[in-house]
Amino acid sequence: MKPILQIQGVSKNFGGLRALQDISFDINQNEIIGLIGPNGAGKTTLFNCVAGIERPSSGKILFTVNGNPVAIGGKKPEKVTALGIARTFQNIRLFDNLKVLDNVKIGRHCRFKSNVFGAAFKTPSQRREEEEIAASAEEILEFVGLRGRGEEIASSMAYGDQRRLEIARALATDPKLLMLDEPAAGMNPQEARSLMDLIHRIRDKGITVLLIEHDMKVVMGICERVVVINYGRMLMTGLPREVQGDPRVIEAYLGTGAFNAAEA
Amino acid sequence: MDQKISNSSKLKIALLILALVLPAFPFVSQHMLHIIILIYLYMILALGLNIIPGFNGLLDLGFVGFYGIGAYTSGLLTYHFGMSYWMIMPLAFLNGALWGVLLGAPTLRLTGDYFAIVTFGFSELVVLFLTNEIWLTRGPLGLPGILPPSIDLSWFGGPVWEFQGELPYYYLAIVMVLGTVFVMHRIQDSRLGRAWFAIRDDEVAAVSCGINLLVYKVIAFGTSAAFGALGGSFFARWVTFLSPDMFKFWESFLVLCMVVLGGMGNIWGVMVGAAVLVSLSEVLREVLSAVGLPVEIRFLAFGLIMVLVMRYRPAGLMPIPAVAAQMRAGRVKRKKVKTAVS
Repeated sequence: MKPILQIQGVSKNFGGLRALQDISFDINQNEIIGLIGPNGAGKTTLFNCVAGIERPSSGKILFTVNGNPVAIGGKKPEKVTALGIARTFQNIRLFDNLKVLDNVKIGRHCRFKSNVFGAAFKTPSQRREEEEIAASAEEILEFVGLRGRGEEIASSMAYGDQRRLEIARALATDPKLLMLDEPAAGMNPQEARSLMDLIHRIRDKGITVLLIEHDMKVVMGICERVVVINYGRMLMTGLPREVQGDPRVIEAYLGTGAFNAAEA
Repeated sequence: MDQKISNSSKLKIALLILALVLPAFPFVSQHMLHIIILIYLYMILALGLNIIPGFNGLLDLGFVGFYGIGAYTSGLLTYHFGMSYWMIMPLAFLNGALWGVLLGAPTLRLTGDYFAIVTFGFSELVVLFLTNEIWLTRGPLGLPGILPPSIDLSWFGGPVWEFQGELPYYYLAIVMVLGTVFVMHRIQDSRLGRAWFAIRDDEVAAVSCGINLLVYKVIAFGTSAAFGALGGSFFARWVTFLSPDMFKFWESFLVLCMVVLGGMGNIWGVMVGAAVLVSLSEVLREVLSAVGLPVEIRFLAFGLIMVLVMRYRPAGLMPIPAVAAQMRAGRVKRKKVKTAVS
């Protein structure tokens, strides 16, 4: 089976700062894969490169659409979303002033086409579309566990619910690959557990999940494979267990000599 | 469907009925009708401008440029070709949209203040064009003798009815306001409206939902310009005289004040804003000239009002609820820097 996303030698420089250097790894279809590394390692930069918000300085990013790899490095973010990559943000970016349901409906945007004339004159096709959008948005809200809360204003929701709403909005774009940037940040253990359950159910729908996460319980609990980066370079990839015990990883997180200290 | 009619819709229906029967009251003079028509005209303009700062969160200081384009389209087509107003109205609307797109497409990549300055420059350019292209617009001499609209039923043997006095304009203006409100409402609840609101709230999140920022901003600009031009086309046939100095920057500012005072993004709010500012302007004009002061002093009053609004009701008289809550919490989230977070 072809990998769904291939990252080949991707580098990103911000002026003199080399945020990413020669990152390469593949993501397989229907896998839950973790991307970890200390703060400032370049995880979010890599997300931004894949999502089209940043243009990689060099290297290739290939996304498999209908069995054909398509180069997406440097494509506009809205194009990337239309191809089937959705994301959430580290510091939640909801449409704060809008209703929960409208947030999800906006996620449906890229799958529909009604235009300004349809909006003004409410043509039959536009009305059908609106009904479809509303129905699927309700369905997605139910899926993430926010059923019946569509009328609330997004910014008034509890933190954990806002995270769920962001995932709902991302799911509304019908992604094949979902990228979650620290979805469990700020969650209590109970919320984190139900998040893990949600991620499993997302995967069961046939969606591949790439997540950045610092909560090791979550990473170890759901990731099938983990990619570790440090100072913008690949450190290793492996099974969660292998990564957890690897001296290089421990050193990256805790500093030189930490592994020996832990052994002693 | 036995849905109960809410109090606010009852109020709206009552206001509409009042507006329809108002000219029948004996105390309503021609002068008063004139001012109310002016209110309706500014409602159309405020609703049109509202799309840019209210729905999209962009600052537009050049709205009057499109108003002027609409007015001169209407005036010139009448002056040179004697075209019927019912033909001119859609043409002016489309011409406004065209210029909105022509201005917006190259400049809407700019963000925040830079974009506002471009719009300001554009409206000045329109005034300069109207002043100096004398072969077309007669320049500072102005364009007199524009015919009033008429309803021509002669094609099936009916009468030709030319607009006389304020009354027919009054009802025409009501129809135009209703049409504009209707369209704004539709847009607000559509995919297009949601895309605009998404852009207003968070551009980065909006692109991540697959919204092409430039395309939607250009659509917004074109739509807004079209309503500005629609207002202009009415204005030309109503006052039957145009001159370039009617479209100075001050007008843009006035309409923007109406939007801000009423509550950016709220359709009913901006209409209230238009009503308040136009009536205030007329009242001050009477009062100031009665006490022998120059009428320009009323501009000072507007400035004072804007300062007070910003101090005590920064989200406007009728804010969208969430915006008001945010303003209260002191969180200013209007400007979004389009850089990714790491």
